[in-house]
Order: sequence, then structure tokens, then C-alpha cells
Amino acid sequence: MKRSFKTRGTIAATAAAALLLSSCGEAPEEDGEGAAAEEVDYKACLVSDEGGWDDRSFNQSAFEGLEMAIDELGVDSADAQSTAESEYGPNVDTMVQQNCDVVFGVGFLLEEGLREAAEANPETDFALIDSYFNFEEGEELENAKPLVFNTGEAAYLAGYVAAAMSETGVVGTWGGIQIPSVTVFMDGYADGVERYNEDNDGDVELVGWDKEGQTGSFSGDFSDQTQGREVTEQLLSQDADIIMPVAGNAGVGAGPALEAAEAKMIWVDSDGYESTDYGDIVLTSVLKEIGQSVYATIEEGTQDGFSNESYVGTLENEGVGLAPFHDFEDEVPSEVTEAIEQLRQEIIDGDTAIESENAPS
Amino acid sequence: MKLELRGVTKRFGSFTANDRISLTVAPGEIHALLGENGAGKSTLMNTIYGLYSPDEGEILLDDREVSFNGPGDAVAAGIGMVHQHFMLIPVFTVTESVALGYEPTRAAGIMDMAVARAKVLEISARFGFDVDPDARIEDLPVGAQQRVEIIKALSRDAKVLILDEPTAVLTPQETDELITIMGQLRDSGTSIVFITHKLREVRAVADRITVIRRGAVVGETSPQSTETELAGLMVGREVNLTTAKEPADPGEVSFEVRGLTVLSSADKVVVDDVDLSLRRGEILVIAGVDGNGQSELAQTILGLRTPVAGSILLDDQDLAPLSVKQRLASGLGFVPEDRSTDGVIGAFTITENYVLDMYDRPPYSGGPGNAALRLPVMREAAQTQAERFDVRMGTVDDPISTLSGGNQQKVVLAREMSRDLRLFVASQPTRGLDVGSIEFVHRTIIEERDKGTPCLIVSTELDEALNLADRIAVMYRGKVVGIVPASTSRDVLGLMMAGVPADEAQAQAATHHTVLAEADEQAEAEENQ
Amino acid sequence: MSASGSQQGMTPAPKPEQQSPWAEAEGRLSRALRELGQTSWVVTVLAVVVALVVGAVLILAANRDVQASLSYFFAQPTAFLETSFQVLREAYSALFRGAVFDWQAPSAARSIRPLTETMVYSVPLILAGLGIAIGFRSGMLNIGGQGQIILGATSAGFLGYALSLPTGLHVLLALAGGILGGAIWGGIAGVLKARTGANEVIVTIMLNNIAIYLLAWLLQQQWYKQTGSNQPLSSSVDESAQLFSLLGSGFRLHAGFLIAILATIGVWWLLERSTLGFEFRAIGENPEAARTAGINVPKATALVLVIAGGLAGLGGAAHVLGTEYRLAGGVAGTLGFDAITVALLGRSKPLGTFLAGLLLGGLRAGGVLMQAQTGTPIDIVLVLQAVIVLMIAAPPLVRAIFFLPHADGRPRIRRRSARRKTEASAATSSARQPELQTASTSKASSAEPPSAESPSTSTQEPGK
Repeated sequence: MKRSFKTRGTIAATAAAALLLSSCGEAPEEDGEGAAAEEVDYKACLVSDEGGWDDRSFNQSAFEGLEMAIDELGVDSADAQSTAESEYGPNVDTMVQQNCDVVFGVGFLLEEGLREAAEANPETDFALIDSYFNFEEGEELENAKPLVFNTGEAAYLAGYVAAAMSETGVVGTWGGIQIPSVTVFMDGYADGVERYNEDNDGDVELVGWDKEGQTGSFSGDFSDQTQGREVTEQLLSQDADIIMPVAGNAGVGAGPALEAAEAKMIWVDSDGYESTDYGDIVLTSVLKEIGQSVYATIEEGTQDGFSNESYVGTLENEGVGLAPFHDFEDEVPSEVTEAIEQLRQEIIDGDTAIESENAPS
Repeated sequence: MKLELRGVTKRFGSFTANDRISLTVAPGEIHALLGENGAGKSTLMNTIYGLYSPDEGEILLDDREVSFNGPGDAVAAGIGMVHQHFMLIPVFTVTESVALGYEPTRAAGIMDMAVARAKVLEISARFGFDVDPDARIEDLPVGAQQRVEIIKALSRDAKVLILDEPTAVLTPQETDELITIMGQLRDSGTSIVFITHKLREVRAVADRITVIRRGAVVGETSPQSTETELAGLMVGREVNLTTAKEPADPGEVSFEVRGLTVLSSADKVVVDDVDLSLRRGEILVIAGVDGNGQSELAQTILGLRTPVAGSILLDDQDLAPLSVKQRLASGLGFVPEDRSTDGVIGAFTITENYVLDMYDRPPYSGGPGNAALRLPVMREAAQTQAERFDVRMGTVDDPISTLSGGNQQKVVLAREMSRDLRLFVASQPTRGLDVGSIEFVHRTIIEERDKGTPCLIVSTELDEALNLADRIAVMYRGKVVGIVPASTSRDVLGLMMAGVPADEAQAQAATHHTVLAEADEQAEAEENQ
Repeated sequence: MSASGSQQGMTPAPKPEQQSPWAEAEGRLSRALRELGQTSWVVTVLAVVVALVVGAVLILAANRDVQASLSYFFAQPTAFLETSFQVLREAYSALFRGAVFDWQAPSAARSIRPLTETMVYSVPLILAGLGIAIGFRSGMLNIGGQGQIILGATSAGFLGYALSLPTGLHVLLALAGGILGGAIWGGIAGVLKARTGANEVIVTIMLNNIAIYLLAWLLQQQWYKQTGSNQPLSSSVDESAQLFSLLGSGFRLHAGFLIAILATIGVWWLLERSTLGFEFRAIGENPEAARTAGINVPKATALVLVIAGGLAGLGGAAHVLGTEYRLAGGVAGTLGFDAITVALLGRSKPLGTFLAGLLLGGLRAGGVLMQAQTGTPIDIVLVLQAVIVLMIAAPPLVRAIFFLPHADGRPRIRRRSARRKTEASAATSSARQPELQTASTSKASSAEPPSAESPSTSTQEPGK
């Protein structure tokens, strides 16, 4: 949260300075235009977990979805960043008091707060990002919708690409904290590498994650880039030349290490080619379209179409996916792109199942 | 150079440390500034030295007004200062110390040690200082270190030299040497401001004496004044410089120290095979220059240090297994040497300080395990004792730091003497106290002796030793050089304090008298008239 | 030159041993702590005021409307002022409504709920803050509140869901477990300091990290979290182990607040009325004098940290058993560090700590509404806290800003410490004087503070 303040503070200070310089401008017309889109009587609200809105990960994606909804649908909004675990409940409660129509909570840590609020406030809708609700047997709430993502499917493709592109025959991955929404990436990635070896009689090794034993390398949190760099260097020293960090902001620490070692990176959540400063080493990214799902949920809500049905992002509904290769477009052999395309279809058709104890179910 | 102060006033908030002080130090004059601790002497000197700027008044050098923004300015103007605590770096050589902060440099900023060394030798020869320019500071005795400070000042062409309590750390013989040096400096035209609270020294060396009290000049006088007169001026009332006491009536031996050896934390022997025995109703003073193991001996008796050899017996009971708390509880009264560090807790109230080593036992606490303090009992006892010991205070609920040093020490004494004592140990019981309080403390100790308590007093003040003691043990480098009767002469004691065994000291003293001893005899003669 | 002299070499200091640099640093630290305890309440209040002003500037800088009005400031200066006023009024009134009383709430219950929320937030802050305050009073800077809270929460939570016991007994046992957990964590630092002289600041910081990773590890262990899921979350505490609600449903206020009140009274008694507290204060004010008076300083030192840890652990336990009910990696949030703020703000006095805990709890509670309603980033609350700490930890700064005279009206030269320090260090360095904070002009050894005859000019602030 310090980090987020720093960013915001810097922005604010810079903005203030810039504005001071340009403060000779004209006053706007009193009856200036309203919002861009036509007004809709709908209020969408978002509560972050401790990561805050600029975590380059799911909080940020969710926030972007909300902003898109504000711009495109003209909805009202409110948001609350949590700086500590003890604020989740109060933040959700405050949102309810603000007469929100739908309240999103980002991350499994908000599950309890959202569930309790949903029980107490049947008039308000609630959506939980990245986790299911832990209902008692048989319990069901009309106003509680989980938005989850089977990122394992897309990571499977990434694992296959990594194995195919590795020159040293070693690829790596590491995570921020060992939680299911992180390890599901790593499981899929591991299976993808395995699949490559099977199909091509290869011997590509994966370091940083052991799917069988569910053990691997973790940096300890989602913010410490120094730690992220260190973990990356450990994997590099084991000869890995393509590494996928699953650690939000901490993953950025992999960038300089990989750059120095002339190795490649696979980013997660968003397209790292655009969202990080290391675009030229990003082979591809495992996309998790949280923003899209938030937007879609709000859109449904404005049309009175909110349902408690789970949203599961898959390759099929494009809730998860593999980003373009960008700078590496020419380097990836066509047989690999073809194989990927085929695998995608297999997964969509259900011919290939991504098995992971960490996958949403 | 002539130094003149006109109406110099220095205030700290509402407190006036120096109140319109005027004085003139003529060229080639030793001008003594006499006053009790806290009278404002050091503030005045720091003002002259540029550490403080005066709120009012002016400082003139050779009739020209000057103002200093810091010691650098003062040094440049020809003022040198030797602080009571030397500002020297132990691992430096004499030359390096003198050059420090005033490094003569050659081109490219390389220090020219040869120049500095030559300067040390030159000054040293001019005044007959016996100082080796290549000796390391830490290897030099205190007296020689002081000379290094003086050389340092002179090397910067000091025309006015301020000596702040220069004799506090010296043996009588070293003091004597310093007095000789001061004479030589005067004869070569250097003006000297000599700050002290010791009457005897003032009379021996000063050309003129200015007495200050409570920040103001209360009189200027000549060295012909008697000590009693000077003391009267200094304190503001008539004082007795010696405490009347009956001859001791010693009982059986009740406290013994046998073969005691104590190491410092750096594993240096600080108390070396010391044997002492004390009878009931007797005062034994441990004399010696500060830092010769006396403090450690006292601390070991209290139990703050563990000896590596030897034993301490109180009424035939070995104290070794007892903790400090147990020793205090079993009848040891202890007055530590540094009152403000070890004796009282400044922020605590007078009451709390009064019970500082008795708070956890009835009547001051009660309940299960004596867990709860009994504030009213504590307060009442403190009140009663404070009245008995004539502590000048507001209420017993004031922090003890609001009291003067003398009154704080009275609280410490009241505390330690409120128990039934089997042994009383006091380290430097009058250090930093005004003359009036010293008198009181001495009387109290003698009363305790007269109750039959054996008293062991550590003192570095020869006057105090001679005044209080029934017997005097002199310590030097951790050893007891000798134990002599209280009637022993100042010269003999002085030599013993420098490590000369008692009989040899007797022989030497017969052939050589120190200036102070002569002054002493003269004073006695005057008093007797 | 005669054979005279002393074997002490350089300094005629009464203390035979040169102080080690560590010991010196320690001495400086405990002196600073003592000074903190003497901060006057004026400084405290002004610190809060300054914090609100700094916060106001940041709120304005971060607000889009204000930025917009600033862009045509010269064309229409009143717009900027009006907007600013409007924004600030909204932000701070939301802060107030979120923390104390919400006059815009739909129901009466809802309008007094903010105050109860403030109390909820304050419970762990007060309890841990009391622990830190005891440390301050005893001359110890216990940075380990975080670790001690985590251990308290970890133990209490586990006992709360792993055991099945009757209601009263279960909650008591879980609380006791929390106290024990924190006390052990504090005790490790205490024993290390007492036995080896290890610096408690470093040890407690290290223990914080160990506690964080210990909790993270435990939350991977099925035997510990007992959920059956892979998420690093524990089970919820059984109803029998939860602290009962004080105001019924709709309010989160729980019995932990009563515990905080009792603990405040208890700590007051401990410090002001008990023999143990006498020892604590003595070693805090002057360890040498305490040792000379026969107080077992190492033992008291260890006990201070055991009790401080126990209080922080109780805070963690109350947090889990009263509000959170389950453990996650971030269960302690920044409570341990906020508790240091609380103790500082409360001037290490029990009542002060209690009130400071309420104030910080109020900032937390109010920040939630302020953020939701006015879009002011909740980070502002952190800034307010940080500025408060800065102001309190740097009283000279506050005095300088407000042209306040020093408490005793003259440059502060701490007599005893200054003199001793110089004796110890004159030989090694005369360049170290700046640490005598006030006057660069004062040479402590030779500055002759008018101690002897000036009872009226004491440096001590009277009273407790």
C-alpha cells in the first residue's frame, strides 16, 4: 500500500505542478457537458485486497474493467482499497451503505466478507473475483456470483511454447505465494512442458515447480521485486532460459535478471509486452481477462441480467488465453504455432483435460 | 595580553548563569576565579572561549572589543583553554595531538609533522616541560597529558590561557609541578585564568582572586586572605572547614577484605590483592588519585563486580554468594560515587528515590509477594527523613532532579542510613557538593561512626581524607600502598598517592616540601594566631 | 616528571571501562525514549494538527476537481478556493462520520455504528500499544509488536478452532494461548537482551520476519489450518471461542474492548503502583542506579519484554477471536507498527495509549468511509499516521514550526548523560558533540548547567 501511495502521490504532485504551470487557462462553461455516455442508474463498486489498484495484477485488471464500464456504460461507481485484512469486512459494508447495485471483491480473502454481506443484503448483488464462495452444503444465494478463471488451460499452451522454444532444454517458473490461483498457472505450465516432451520425444526439464509434490520456488509476496529477481537468478543458474513468474509486481523483478542473461520471459494475467518495461524479452503472456469479466458482469447488471451462475474463464469463452508473440512472431516456428492451435482446440473440445487440484471447480 | 570583561551576562531561559560580571586579567597575571560548583565559572569561561555568546556586556582584549563566533575565533585571538576533561585522542602521539585541528600542511595538503614536532620540542624546552613528542597519549600519566593540552594551546600562540579546574585530576606532587609551570608562563607574559574551588591552591599561586557566587562577582581579593575568609565569600556565610569529631573508639574487627583481586571488563587487574580490615566505630578512608581501583573496590563490596580472587567478610559471613539486593538488605549502606548516575534516578520523585533500594519490602510494599507499593507509607517516611536530614525541597513528590546536588546527596544518605547498618561504604560522598553540604555530609558520617558502624570512605580529596579519617589507606594502581594514621602529613600522602611506599615517602617528604604543604603550614599558623 | 599518574591512560573518568560503541548507542536510544515519554501534550496535539494540514494538502493535490479548478486559477481564483474547501469539508467530514457519528445514516443504530467501529479497530491497537509503552517506559524500543501479535493470533486462533470446549472456558483458554504466544515471542528477545546484551531493536525486527514466515508456513499445513482447501486460510474460530458481542448483531463491537479497558487499568497499576513496575521504570530511567540499588536488571529486562509480548499477543488474540475469526497471512496487517505510533502518541502512559488507540482506530474506521464516499485514497490515513509519528519523534521540529520555547525555556543539556558521555568519549572524539541536540555551542563537559542552585530550572517535567 505504500507503493500504491507513492505512485499516486507522485502522480498527484506532478499533476499539481503541471497544472500550476498551466493555471492560466480559461474557466469552463458553467453548464458544461455531462458524462460521455448516457446516464444509467446503476452503481458498480469494487473492493481491493491488500494489493491495491496498481498491483499490475488482478486488482488492477478488475479496476480497468470498472473504468471501462464507467466510460462505456455510464455507470456510477465507488471503490475502496483495503490496506489490511481487517478492512475487508468494513469496506464491503461501507459499499453496501453507499447503495451500490453490485459489489465486487477481488481475491479469495474477500470471500467471507462478501458472503456475509450477501446473506445480510439480498437486495445488493455481489461478485467475487478469483474464488468460489464457500457455501454450506446445499446453500445457494441468488445474489452471489463467483468469477473464476481456469488459467491452467492457457498456461498449458504457454508451457508447450516454452518447451518448444528453449535452447538449453530447461524452462522455469516461480510464484509469489503458494496459493491455488498462482499454482494453477504453474500446474498448467508443467503439463504443457510434459505434453511437448511426449509429442516430440523431448527431454525439456522444468525447474521451479514440481506438480507432483506441489512444491517449488516462491518469492514470498507479490510486491518485492528484489526477491523476485533473486528467485529468477536461482532458476537461471539451473540453466533455465525461459521463465514464467506468477507474482504480480514481484514478477517484474525477473525482467532485469532475464535481460542480463539474455533469457526470455512469459508474463501472466495481462499482456506483458504492453504492461511491463520488458516487452522485448516477453515471449508471450498467459492472459486472464478479469477486466472483461467485470465489465460483462456490470453490463448484465445494467440490463437486470445479473445471475448467480459462476463465470469460469476458459479458452473456449476467451476468459483466458495466450497473448501474441509480438517481437518473437518470426522466431516461433510455424509447426509450434500450429501445434498450439491444435492443442487449444483439443482443450476446448474437451479432448485434453488440464488436471490440477488448484483449478477452480 | 589584557583580558577584560565588562558586565557580561549570560542567561539560559529564565536562569541567569552570569550576572553582569566584570573583571580584568592583567598581562602576566595569574587570576584565580574562585567559586563553588554551579556558581557560573565554567559558563563564564565558555563565553570567553566563544562557545557561548553573551546576552549582554562585552569582552575586550587589549582594550579592543571582540566577539567570537566559536572557539576558532577565540583561538585566533590568542585565547587558549585547557578543559577539565582533556580533549585528546588516546592513540595519537603528542605531536599528532598538538597538530590536530591546526595541521601545518605542505603543498598538496600533506601534513608536515616535522614542523609540528619541532614546535612541541621548542615549547617543551622553553618551559622545561618534560614531554616526549613521540610518546602516545595513552601511555602518559595524567599530569603529562595536561601539559600536552597546555603545549597545544601555546602552539597556537595563546596569550591568555584558561585552566578549568586543572588540579582536579592531579596528585599533590603533580599539582606542585603545574604550579611551577604556571609561574613560568606568567613570567613569560602569558595571562592565566585559573578556575578552581580549592582554596589552598588559590592562595598558593594566584596574583589576584575573583570570587563569584550565584553567577555574580561577590568580591575581588588578594591571596593574603585566609582560607576562612575565602570560604566565607564563596559560600556567602561563615563555614567550618574542618568537622569537629571525637577520637574514634574502635571496637572489634567486623569487616574484612582478604586478598581481593578484581579485573576490569578488559581483563586488566584493577584491584590487586587488597587486604583491609575495619573495626566497629572507625572510619577508614581510601585515598588516592582517581582511577586507581578505589571505585572498583567499592563496587565489588556492593556486589556489582565479581572478584577473581579473595573474599569479603562481614561479621565473619562471606558476602560472595549474596546478590546486591541481599547485601543491602543485610545491613550494607552504600553511597555510590557518581550520585546522578548511580545514586538517584533524576526523573523519579524524592519519595521514589528515598525507597530506591527498599521499595520491595515492608513497610514500603505489601500484598502477596510484596507486589504492591504502599505509596502513603513511602511518602510519609520520605517526608520524615527529609526533614531529619534537612533536605531543602518543595514536596516529596517533586522529581529529585529539581534538587541541588547537596540536597540530592542528603536524600541518598537519608536512604542509606535509614536502615540498621553493619557496614557503611561511601564513594566520593562529597564530590560536586557545596561547602555547606560537605560539612553536613561529614557530620552525618561521623555520627554513623559514633553509632558503632564501621565506615569505609573512598575519597580523592586529600582534605576530605584528612578531615574524616581515623586511618587512611592509599591506593595506587589497584594496590594498597600503605595504611597510615590520619595524622600523616600531606606531603607523605601525596608521595604515597604516586606509588611510593609509606616509609620511603616519609624519608622523601622530609627533604622536599611542596608549595601546597607550605601554604598549608602557613594557613595553620594564621589560624592559630 | 615523576612516576605519578594513573593506569587509566586517558580519561580520568570515574567509570573504569570505556563504553563500547554499542553500549553508547544503547544509551543514546534509551535517552531518546525517556525524552519521548516527556513530550508535552501540546506537542501531541500540534502533531495531530500538522498531520491534518499535511493530509489536507495531499487530499487537494490528489483530487481531480481541485486540479481542474487550479488550471483556470487565475481566471477564476474563487473556484479553486471553493472547490478546495468543498473537497476538504467532504473528506474530513466523511472521516468524522466514519469514525464517530454518522448524521447521514439511515437509522439511529447505523449512525452510532461508526463509533463502535472505531472501538473495534482500537482493541488490538490499544493492547499492543500498551505493550510497546511498557517497553518505552523501561527504556526498550520493542519493534516486535508485529511478530508478537502474529504469534498471539496464531496461537489463539488455533486453540479457537482446533479444540472443542464449553463456551466460557474455550474463549479464556484461547486468550491465554494468545498471551502465551506473544509472551514467548517477546521473551525470546528479552532473554537474548538480558543474557547476551543483544540489541532488542534488531532482535525484535528479525523475530517479526520469522513470525510472518512461520504463519505463512503454518497456513500451508493442513494439520494447522484444518480447512481441506489449498487456500492459505485457516478454519473459522468456533462460536464457543469467540469474544461475545457487546451490542448484538449489526455491530461488531465485542468483549475485546472490555479487555482493552481492563488491560489499560492493569498496566497503569503495574507501572505506577507495583514493585515490578517500579523496577521497570527504574531500569528505563537509569539502569546504573537501578543496578546499584540492587535491582536485577537482566531479569527485569527479560520480564519487560515478556509482559510487552503478552499484551501484544493478547491484542492479536482479541483481533482473531473478536473480529477476524480466522487466520490469513496478513492477519496482523500493520497493527504492530501502528501500535508503536499509538504508544508514542500516548506518551507511553496507559491512559494516553488508550486514547491514542481510539484516535488511530478512528482514523482507520473513518478512512474506510472517506475512501468510499469521496474517493480520497485511504493512503491519506497512513500519511496522517506517519506525520504524527514524525512530529512526535522530533519534538524540536514541532517546537521550531510553532516557535514554542523548550519546556524549561533554555537549551537542553542533559546533565548527567551529557557529562558522562563526554567523559567517556572526550578521549576518543571531540567531534561528536552534535548529538547534544540543542546547542552546537555547548560543550557538555564544560557547560556548567546551573544544577546546584537552580531548582526552578529543572529539565524534568513534573508529574506522571
